[in-house]
Amino acid sequence: MISVEHLDLSFGDKQIFKDFSLTLPDYGVTALRGPSGCGKTTLLRVLAGLTCPQSGRVVGIRPQNTAFLFQENRLLPWRTVEQHLTDVLPRDRRNEAPRWLALAELTGEEKSYPAALSGGMGRRLALARCLALGGRPYLLDEPFAGVDPARAGRILAGLKTLDAPVLLVSHEEYILSQADRIIDLDGPPLRVL
Amino acid sequence: MAWSKGLKNFIFSLLPPAFWLGAWQLVALLVDHSVNGRGNELLLPYPATVLTALVRLAGAAPFWGTVASSLGRILAGMIVGTLAGAVLAVLTCAFRLCDRLLSPAIRVIRATPVASFILLILLWTDRNFVPAIIAGLMVLPVVWANLARGIRETDPQLLEFSRAYRFSPPKTVKLIYLPSLRPYFLSAVTTAMGLAWKSGVAAEVLCIPKEAIGTQIYNSKLYLEIPDLFAWTAVVVALSLILERLIRVVLDRWKGGWTL
Repeated sequence: MISVEHLDLSFGDKQIFKDFSLTLPDYGVTALRGPSGCGKTTLLRVLAGLTCPQSGRVVGIRPQNTAFLFQENRLLPWRTVEQHLTDVLPRDRRNEAPRWLALAELTGEEKSYPAALSGGMGRRLALARCLALGGRPYLLDEPFAGVDPARAGRILAGLKTLDAPVLLVSHEEYILSQADRIIDLDGPPLRVL
Repeated sequence: MAWSKGLKNFIFSLLPPAFWLGAWQLVALLVDHSVNGRGNELLLPYPATVLTALVRLAGAAPFWGTVASSLGRILAGMIVGTLAGAVLAVLTCAFRLCDRLLSPAIRVIRATPVASFILLILLWTDRNFVPAIIAGLMVLPVVWANLARGIRETDPQLLEFSRAYRFSPPKTVKLIYLPSLRPYFLSAVTTAMGLAWKSGVAAEVLCIPKEAIGTQIYNSKLYLEIPDLFAWTAVVVALSLILERLIRVVLDRWKGGWTL
């Protein structure tokens, strides 16, 4: 199990976590649902070790083993689609790039640069890169923003076949309906409903 | 269609130089008219006279040796100045102490008149080394300022991405810093190129090394060979433009970064 215990965090006057605790399963797809700005992204960032809480601790997760999908694509304009994947894959696993491109339905775009991709394709590339990196768990912040529902559904089905827990933030009902469990949140400060 | 578009572009690219050559010809004509044909070559020679002088100089054996010597000196200064500027920019951004120590010193270099440096360095070292040192000193602050700004303005989101995706420091440099710095570097070296030539040739004029364009410019002034002065100046301008073009071509190829 993954758990966060007694987290406290504020940015200036805004308190994001106030003695916040939560236990998450370390298998399957868990979706976090809540209004914008309630602290879902910050929770993922804390789990990934990208944001340090002022107090409290995270148990059952090693930040250096996670794969984090940022809310923004953060693509490199000077790298091709294929290079985005080979850049994060270790040398002995570079032949896996086509597999991740296929999962994100980007086969055929290997030589394209991010500027030539649509918004949805850019998001899928960022997701494919995160999946190629590999992690336990995958921490995905709005992975299907801008992706059409049918395609998002197929990619999520592919995600569920991975042998790693997935924790994702989403607002889309069609995504939430396919998750193994949903945790409803509200805030700030963040709290479980 | 493609060739007619190419021809059109070629003609358009010739228009600005043709305009300025025409303006030069017109002003030279006015000068010639005002001095009644007596010595206008001392004030402003015609473009054709300068071209004749250039062809005559280029036909003589020492010309190419002189050009190669000046080119070697300026390029050496440019390369050393660029490398030093880059290293100092990294140190400035990496260590606050280096920033505090280096920033005022480099600003002093930037503000000091080039003539003061030329005369001081002439006192300290061999005259043949002065142009390269001066060119390097003029290039260094430009490269330093541009690259330091570029490093500081590298997208923090991409740097956070590189940490989250466990990029090693060399990989972060190759995949994020270097491509991000490309426009800053291009701007720095194209500006620095002009400065290097200006200051390097000025140093040659004051120091009179054995084989140098600056020495030839000094001699042209001394013997009132004004068309030769114009011709040597044209050589400097041409070399500077060719090198700038070469740098742009190299950096355009580098745009995609490297495959690791």
